[in-house]
Amino acid sequence: MNFLEMLALIPLFPAAGALINGLLGRRCSRACISTVACGTVGVSFLLSLGAFYQLLGRPEGQRLVEQELFTWIPAGAGELSSGAISQFLVQWGYQLDPLSAVMILVVTGVGFLIHIYSIGYMAHEGGYARFFTYMNLFMFSMLTLVLANNFVVMFVGWEGVGLCSYLLIGFYYERKSAADAGKKAFIVNRIGDFGFMLGMFLIFTAFGTLDFTGVFGLVETQAQAGVLASGDATITAICILLFVGAMGKSAQVPLYVWLPDAMEGPTPVSALIHAATMVTAGVYMVARCSALFVLSPDAMLLVAVVGAFTAIFAASIGLVQNDIKRVLAYSTVSQLGYMFLACGVGAFGAGVFHLMTHAFFKALLFLGAGSVIHALSGEQDMRRMGGLRTRIPATFWTMMVGTVAIAGFPPLAGFFSKDEILWRAFSSSQGHVLLWAVGVLAAGMTSFYMFRMIFLTFLGKSRMSREVDSHVHESPKVMTVPLGLLAVGAVVSGWVGIPHLIGQYLHHLPQYFEHFLSPALAHPAAVEGGHASEGLEWGLMALSVAIALLGLWLARRFYLTHPALPEHLVSRFKHTYTTLLNKYWVDEVYDLLIVNRTKDLANRLAGFDNRVVDGAVNGSAWLTRLTASVSGFFDYWIVDLAVRRSDLIYYLSFPLRRIQTGVIQTYAALTIGGILVIVGYFILT
Amino acid sequence: MNLGNLDSLTFFYPELILLGGILLVVISDISLKGLRDRVNPLLTLAALLLALFYTLQTDHGSAMTLFEGMLALDNFALFFKAFMLVAGVLVLLGSLHSEELAAVHQGEFHALLLAVTLGMLLMANSAHLVMLYLSLELVSLTSYIMVGYLRSDRLSNEASMKYILFGAVSTGAMLYGFSLLYGMTGSLDLFAIRDALLAQEVVGFNQVTLMLVVVLTTAGFGFKTAAVPFHFWCPDVYTGAPTPVTAFLSVAPKAAGFAILVRFFLGGLSQPAGEQWGFISGIDWPLVLIVVSVLTMSLGNIAALTQNNLKRMLAYSSIAHAGYILMGAVLLTGTGLKAMLVYLFVYLFMNLGAFFVVTVIFNSEKTFELQDYNGMFRRSPFLAVAMSIFLLSLIGIPPFAGFLGKLYIFGAVIDQGLYWFAVVGALNAAVAAFYYMRIMKHMILENDDRPPTPLQISPLNRALLVLLLVPNILLIVFWSPIDRWTANSITLFGGL
Repeated sequence: MNFLEMLALIPLFPAAGALINGLLGRRCSRACISTVACGTVGVSFLLSLGAFYQLLGRPEGQRLVEQELFTWIPAGAGELSSGAISQFLVQWGYQLDPLSAVMILVVTGVGFLIHIYSIGYMAHEGGYARFFTYMNLFMFSMLTLVLANNFVVMFVGWEGVGLCSYLLIGFYYERKSAADAGKKAFIVNRIGDFGFMLGMFLIFTAFGTLDFTGVFGLVETQAQAGVLASGDATITAICILLFVGAMGKSAQVPLYVWLPDAMEGPTPVSALIHAATMVTAGVYMVARCSALFVLSPDAMLLVAVVGAFTAIFAASIGLVQNDIKRVLAYSTVSQLGYMFLACGVGAFGAGVFHLMTHAFFKALLFLGAGSVIHALSGEQDMRRMGGLRTRIPATFWTMMVGTVAIAGFPPLAGFFSKDEILWRAFSSSQGHVLLWAVGVLAAGMTSFYMFRMIFLTFLGKSRMSREVDSHVHESPKVMTVPLGLLAVGAVVSGWVGIPHLIGQYLHHLPQYFEHFLSPALAHPAAVEGGHASEGLEWGLMALSVAIALLGLWLARRFYLTHPALPEHLVSRFKHTYTTLLNKYWVDEVYDLLIVNRTKDLANRLAGFDNRVVDGAVNGSAWLTRLTASVSGFFDYWIVDLAVRRSDLIYYLSFPLRRIQTGVIQTYAALTIGGILVIVGYFILT
Repeated sequence: MNLGNLDSLTFFYPELILLGGILLVVISDISLKGLRDRVNPLLTLAALLLALFYTLQTDHGSAMTLFEGMLALDNFALFFKAFMLVAGVLVLLGSLHSEELAAVHQGEFHALLLAVTLGMLLMANSAHLVMLYLSLELVSLTSYIMVGYLRSDRLSNEASMKYILFGAVSTGAMLYGFSLLYGMTGSLDLFAIRDALLAQEVVGFNQVTLMLVVVLTTAGFGFKTAAVPFHFWCPDVYTGAPTPVTAFLSVAPKAAGFAILVRFFLGGLSQPAGEQWGFISGIDWPLVLIVVSVLTMSLGNIAALTQNNLKRMLAYSSIAHAGYILMGAVLLTGTGLKAMLVYLFVYLFMNLGAFFVVTVIFNSEKTFELQDYNGMFRRSPFLAVAMSIFLLSLIGIPPFAGFLGKLYIFGAVIDQGLYWFAVVGALNAAVAAFYYMRIMKHMILENDDRPPTPLQISPLNRALLVLLLVPNILLIVFWSPIDRWTANSITLFGGL
């Protein structure tokens, strides 16, 4: 089978699943619904594997497959900024290259495991069919997003995942907080989407096409011909606008606020959408547009700074959160910051690498958290957990693997990808020692809050209520098996990208991953040059492991050996603590500055509507009534007089009927008379 | 291009098929005693559909004449041929479950329907005065029989007799006109007549004769289209004839009359000059036609106001609509002609629809009186809503198809700067709204004290109603194919 020619089927299967469950789900059994939902995603996964394998079998220069299904928008000619005329023509097309191949594997692979896990997690919940319909619809949208071969189709997927995210965050729509969180996610994402759209518009006016190969090919040739200089204003504008879109979708400062609230959705949703796949769409998009970004150092710098800032900002909030899912949510925001930091310093490959490893361990951690919540009958507050290690061992050990991976201990996945990013931030010509320092600090915080979570949840004494305690149970196989598989991924997924430094001692293992990706990504000319000494690289690597160990040690000291210490610190640094606990008051500031001001504006507009618009309407009604009474007067005295005479028209009907005597002779005579009248008219004139 | 007799046969399939159909129906009527009631309608339908298929298939390349100049084959003719055949199909379907016709033997009815359709097809094609007369007579004679088809019904017989007598007077006048024209030009071929008139530079005495010719021939066409003052037969005949026949007469022969009117005046008496045709030697003829048009619509509408018999009301209404259609014909412009075609097309569906509802109600109620329509909405909401849509369409209220027709007609008139003409047309539409709304009022608002008994509609009739409703509702959305088709259909063979 030639899987490369069946690209369209990969998103189509989940779409079919969504359709079947959406239309017939209410009448099907739960087994049937979950079979359809998981089966379609599973088939997509197999197709993706096949396509990936066959792509790998091709020579390096030919790893790009495009498949155009039909002409979607043949809108006609448009004028470009250069004055040239170009046809706006959008094909519904898919493309597979190393970048999208990695993405579909992650999306379908992790997605499939999460679908399986959901069977167990959602077993006792209502809205079963609705849940799986949305999940499948999400898979379709996400696959469309990553497989698209042009910006417009990508945008369809982009909006589709946004919609599914909204629907799934608000899955428990009876709960006001869930409904509000859904709205918040949707609205904040809209802000980003405007950036994306404006970026697209600008790309079309600049290049006259929205196809990836077209745009990036033009960029390359124009850059080589010297038409496009590095730092070109249009390119910078495009990149910044696209990055605004990425900020919204990938929860970067200042548009990150929706992601922590998104934890209102069911936990598998948090794992799939708000950790492993959708939120990484922004990173994917920036990597996809790397050809544009490398031409704009300013935009790159913005990406790197926003990424680094988000990484440490979110990590610092994560230090003190008590809700197990919120810790993970801030951790996700922070990790996404790392990915953007990588992209910003020109290491797009490292960013995508971290995206992939993160998908494994973060999905694992979320699903583990879900398993904990499941075991504790819905309890999410870590202050009321503890001592669960022996009670739910499978969950504990798999989460432990995830934690070690994210904290960056070798040889687990997180170590390789995170270290790659930190090293590039340090060594790249577009990097800076400050960016590196921020990254390292955030890594230490990550280690701290992750182990804090483990210690509070699984170790120490139980702080659960007796009621909850009596019900603690390990999750069913359908949930723990995906956890185990993801744990394997969290261990080994980093091995495809072992850095040269270590690889040279391991039978000269090459850096497979970035080498594989490199045809699909652009590389800033200067990045490769920034080689530092091997000793420095070893030193920095050791330092990042050391800081992770420091985080682990601190967490152990705070939450296991000296439990009084945190309270002591809290009372000592009261202001810092409350600021962190309240997430730097960002939500409150947004409410104050933006949300409430928007409401004020709306109120004022409503007032304008009431007074001026309605006033105008009422005034015109008054005017109409005035004219009506005037014309009524006129009517009564003048027109009615005429009408009273013009009943004539009605009464005219009777003589006309009278003519119709029914006597044929009369008819003939009248007809002849008519003819004579006409002839007479002609003779007389 | 003139084709000889044998070559012409290739383009004569629709007519030949109808001819074959007539023979087959007659034979089956005689030979298949048990099956004929089932076979005959199917045969008729098959013949009509096959003819329609071949008409739509006809690709004549360029306009030409057939049979040594007897018939003109052009897009204009094709439009009318397709129109007649569609009308024939709809009327046939409408007559199948008609209680009026069920009472009598229907064998000849189907043969007659095919014959009258054949006549109309030829009318639309005629480019020769003899052909024109013969085809018109073929239509008339078969119509006479169809009107009097209810042999035991006194009204039907009377209607038929009146129709014959009145038709004789009109066609007599028309023939006299033709003979004068022959005397003046020495030819019966329309294009030869025009060339002769152009060459002779008709002046003085001859001009009055020409005028007489025009008036007299108009009597013949006016008879077919029921234009004032040649309309007198219309209310009586429409009332007396079986309702499916009335429906047919109110649409198809009327359209055929317009077809020959346009072909006679535009093909024979005027010369094409770009978008517009000019009448030969500056006859002030359009004014007369405009006056006829105004009189026709005004008389039709005003007389309809006080009618209480639905059939009679719709008869007058169809006279009024002939007035509107005439508005497009008298302009002698491409847009006017196109407007006329559009109007005819939408008129086909709305008028047949209204008549069909009347047929359906008569089937179970045996009445055409307006007050018997009271409470129809409660008895059959579907029927009442369908009737309302047909009536609103006849008034010309958007979004129904009738609006499209009025829009094109008034647009074409205003295009020519004849504002007062458009105003008269619009005023007439307002007057017409009164009696159409009156029907709706009786059906929907007025209830009598009797408890509503559901009205039975056969599935076939229900399907046909839907079939008629669809164009009325959808044409406003899909008007561009109609626009293109009619714009394409105004190319008239000029005999050049």
